[in-house]
Amino acid sequence: MKELIERLGTKFPVNETVFQRDNLTFITTDKIHAIELITHLRDYEGFSHLVIITAVDWIEEGLFQLTYLLNNPKLKVDMGVRVMIDRKEATMTSSHHLWAAVATYQRELYEMFGIFFPGSPRIKEPFILEGWDGPPPYRRDFDTKKYAEDTYFPRPGRETHDPAEHMKEKMYPEGS
Amino acid sequence: MSFKDVLMPFTAWKNLFIEPVTIKKPDQIQGASRYRGFHKNEVDVCIGCGTCEEICQNAAIDMMPVEGIETKDGDSGLRPMIDYGRCCWCALCVDICTTNSLTLSNSFKWNSTDPDDFRFIPGVDEKYWNNDKLGYVKADGYDLNPVERVEMGELHPEERDRSFVEMVTGYSREQAQKEADRCVECGICTATCPAHMGIPAYIKAVREDDMEEGLRILYETNPLPEICGRICTHKCETVCAINHKGDPLSIRWLKRYIADQVPSDKYKEILGTDKIEGNGKKVAIIGAGPAGLSAAHYLALMGYSVKIYETLKGPGGMVRYGIPEYRMPYDQIDKDIDYILSLGVEVQYNTKVGEDIQLEELGKDYDAVFSATGLHLGRSTGIEGSDHDKVYQSIELLRKVTLEEEIDVAEKIVVIGGGNVAMDITRTLARLQNKKYGKVNVLTTCLESEEAMPADEEEVIEAREEKAVIDPGWGPQKIEIEDGKIKGLHVNKCLAIFDEEGRFNPKFDNDNKKFFEADMIVESIGQGMDISYTEKIKDQLEFGARGRIIVDKKSFQSKLPWLFVGGDIIEGPDVIHGIANGHKAAVGIDTYLKDK
Repeated sequence: MKELIERLGTKFPVNETVFQRDNLTFITTDKIHAIELITHLRDYEGFSHLVIITAVDWIEEGLFQLTYLLNNPKLKVDMGVRVMIDRKEATMTSSHHLWAAVATYQRELYEMFGIFFPGSPRIKEPFILEGWDGPPPYRRDFDTKKYAEDTYFPRPGRETHDPAEHMKEKMYPEGS
Repeated sequence: MSFKDVLMPFTAWKNLFIEPVTIKKPDQIQGASRYRGFHKNEVDVCIGCGTCEEICQNAAIDMMPVEGIETKDGDSGLRPMIDYGRCCWCALCVDICTTNSLTLSNSFKWNSTDPDDFRFIPGVDEKYWNNDKLGYVKADGYDLNPVERVEMGELHPEERDRSFVEMVTGYSREQAQKEADRCVECGICTATCPAHMGIPAYIKAVREDDMEEGLRILYETNPLPEICGRICTHKCETVCAINHKGDPLSIRWLKRYIADQVPSDKYKEILGTDKIEGNGKKVAIIGAGPAGLSAAHYLALMGYSVKIYETLKGPGGMVRYGIPEYRMPYDQIDKDIDYILSLGVEVQYNTKVGEDIQLEELGKDYDAVFSATGLHLGRSTGIEGSDHDKVYQSIELLRKVTLEEEIDVAEKIVVIGGGNVAMDITRTLARLQNKKYGKVNVLTTCLESEEAMPADEEEVIEAREEKAVIDPGWGPQKIEIEDGKIKGLHVNKCLAIFDEEGRFNPKFDNDNKKFFEADMIVESIGQGMDISYTEKIKDQLEFGARGRIIVDKKSFQSKLPWLFVGGDIIEGPDVIHGIANGHKAAVGIDTYLKDK
């Protein structure tokens, strides 16, 4: 793997490398070079299979992290290519031309994180959230509880008790 | 079309004779071993803190009373009810559970046509998965909420063992906020606190760095926060939900932190007590200890003209004259008390009711009287030799230290007693010996075994750090006196303190003896009250066990309508009960005088 990383380094910017396990390595590259690097891995280094594309919301840093996890079936090794993109301008070059499945992952990322991939087929069609009108729910500033309270009505007959109030009522109703 | 393609549909018929792969009624399929299925709850372990309800992002959890589960100290009596129409099995409730009682089974199948069947209280309602062994539990070694307390800085033993400088340094802002962040705001502590302080609310104020709000919350129920923030017996911490899987919140230190941050000249402005309108009524208070001061504070706020009669020359009662300065610095006592006095409360010092002025006179001159005279008499063991003039009472010595009166500290001292006051005198004498002789030779013994000692554990540890010897589990038998001088104390091993009926009746092993050399002995086995000032009106009062005056539990009113009684002579003994009593008595007096 080390040799591969060195080879890649001569052609593309490789900012950070994490040797997670013998068969799993993560590299971080720039937004502009990412798709080119992934294409190179697919066509010249045997990483012919796309395992998953996923994202992490680094809200404090104002960044989204995209991870393209690729697999080399011959060597039985995985390579994760990480790209940090701006959280405000959450747009990334589409790579749907490389694998057919990419378009679906990108649709999911658009729906869940609001990361846009211009030109990606059916990108704005609902993926699993039919009829969703809220903000992308995987963004960390999405308030799940508030959304649930605002959107869904409680089942009739539901009631709850505040522990401190309940204890006051039972143990010292005269108050303090 | 090939011949094979023509035959194909017919070959499928052969499957008719093969055992089907589909299972007819798949009841027996279990989820994976860590599958997140229906909830289980160990209801005897659960304390009903409601943190699961708080964290649930789908609002799927309600806290419900359960028949047979009592609401008591440390347990709200409520248990979580889950609405499976909303639950998404994320298991955040399991991860945050303060007692680890809530888990998920790996059962996931259950049919019913009634939607209400899918709302139930795990562990209470009978379900087939209640005894499932597998499922999701919180992984060891990680917690959503830090279980370790932010350490409090202390002076090293060498820095403190010959000085009376405060040994606990207090939290910085960063430390206080970090500690406050561990609170789950369940409020279980509030019920146990005798003053029912708004603990989660003032901890929240620390977290949000709003000291003014914090101070206002403190003063709603406790007008002595600098004092309580240092020496409260903090029963709240014992019942803290976080105590079940880690260190309880440092509630006491967080209270001190708030009070320490606000300068005294800001108090009136923050608490809105610049102008109080008088109501023309007068109340006399006997004793300027925590109970008396607390009553004075709340009465003054209600517009009463308040005058306190105090035997000693300064205010504070046992807080000033009993607790050593290294635990409770005098300037901090003054900060709390000066504010109360600034509300117009008057104090007449060096005046003993019953001697200098009679209780009945106060009853005539004032609309009501609140008496909180405390426990200032030492108790003696009464053993042979205990009448020697080198046998002292701890409470007298501690008072003398505060009054800066000379104490003839001996080179070898034995203290009898295992409570916090015994530790106070032990550590005070150790400091005085260190100053006078440059070394410590004080030994403290008590009937109780090490585990059963009533003193706080940290007091015992710190006393030992200061080179005092603590040797518990011995019963004093006789003080050896030779040529009029004390030689030491004979003790026998104590086997049991109480008899079968639970009465105080210590049993000793007379073959297991020790002799502790000493030339001075201090008894610290409890304090008694002096209520001789009630002598002339005794017939109009009612007395209970051990001579305590009987008062109404809510208002602290005695049988004599104008006389209210509280503090250590009624409840406790400790500061926080005194403060709570004083507050309740103030409200009781107000109600009484309004009706009058």
